[in-house]
Amino acid sequence: MSIQTFSQWLYATPLAVAFREMVWFIPTVQTIHILAIAILVGAALVSNLRLAGIIATDEAPAAVVRRYLPWMGPALIVLLSTGLLLVIAEPGRTLGNTVFWVKMVLVLSGFALTRGFQKPALALQPVGAAPVALAKPAAWLSLAVWAAVIFCGRFIAYT
Amino acid sequence: MSLQNMLLALYESDLSLWIRQNPPVFPTIESFHVIAIALVFGTILIVDLRLIGFAAHRRSIDKLITELLPVTWGAFALAVVTGLLMFVANAPAYMNNAQFLWKMVVIAAAGINMMIFHATIYRRIADWDVMIPPPNAARTAGVLSITLWLTVIYLGRWIGFTLDTFF
Repeated sequence: MSIQTFSQWLYATPLAVAFREMVWFIPTVQTIHILAIAILVGAALVSNLRLAGIIATDEAPAAVVRRYLPWMGPALIVLLSTGLLLVIAEPGRTLGNTVFWVKMVLVLSGFALTRGFQKPALALQPVGAAPVALAKPAAWLSLAVWAAVIFCGRFIAYT
Repeated sequence: MSLQNMLLALYESDLSLWIRQNPPVFPTIESFHVIAIALVFGTILIVDLRLIGFAAHRRSIDKLITELLPVTWGAFALAVVTGLLMFVANAPAYMNNAQFLWKMVVIAAAGINMMIFHATIYRRIADWDVMIPPPNAARTAGVLSITLWLTVIYLGRWIGFTLDTFF
């Protein structure tokens, strides 16, 4: 089955039809999606700015990352579930769209960077501890990746 | 010049035409708007949750505010600029849209909530800076702020579904 036939089948399922018929459904799910993005970006911003040595340099990296890392997993779960609902409601807009798949790869990269660099920072107790190798460029790269994810998200609606 | 004429003049301006006639421009403006929203709400949420009594990376609320507020304001400025550009692209339609007008009202309410906070309980911050939970006035300001910004984002998303003009 091609992606296109699958999209057409999904589009016609009673669930997808029900989602589209409730006028409030898509805007409400999109709003929750944006709120989860804001939580993810807020958490990523503070953690990564600390790892990049820009803010809170008088606090141990672990003390900063410990506060925000636990928000990122649940935010991802909310993003994936609301995203799934949006795909079910309008499969043609996403599954056959290259920008959507680029976004998915970027989301994976964002979380790989988080696991690879923010998690190890949890062990950096002293304020002046030597950072994990490449932590600074990884911190900036992570922020750029989240910004690119937002760009792709908006452009899905136009491509 | 009446409001309607001003809106039409805006609609016919070179900038407005340029945004409407170049397909990638509007989504690019929107993308920056969403990035700005994520930064505004993401940073305000950290401060508001601390005001309500959740721990942040700073025990001191004053330190937290000093550290994050420049990011919030910078992002808010970006949201205003990108918002104005979207408005210019379709001024009469936005002015005619209830969700847009309510969104402006709720942003103003969020601003008033912030001003009241700064003019009252924040003046005595030294007395409760590291207290958990903070005094009720601060917790109320935090809850109100989160609620108002949530409403702003919800109304904003509805504009995309209710605006008359799609070009």
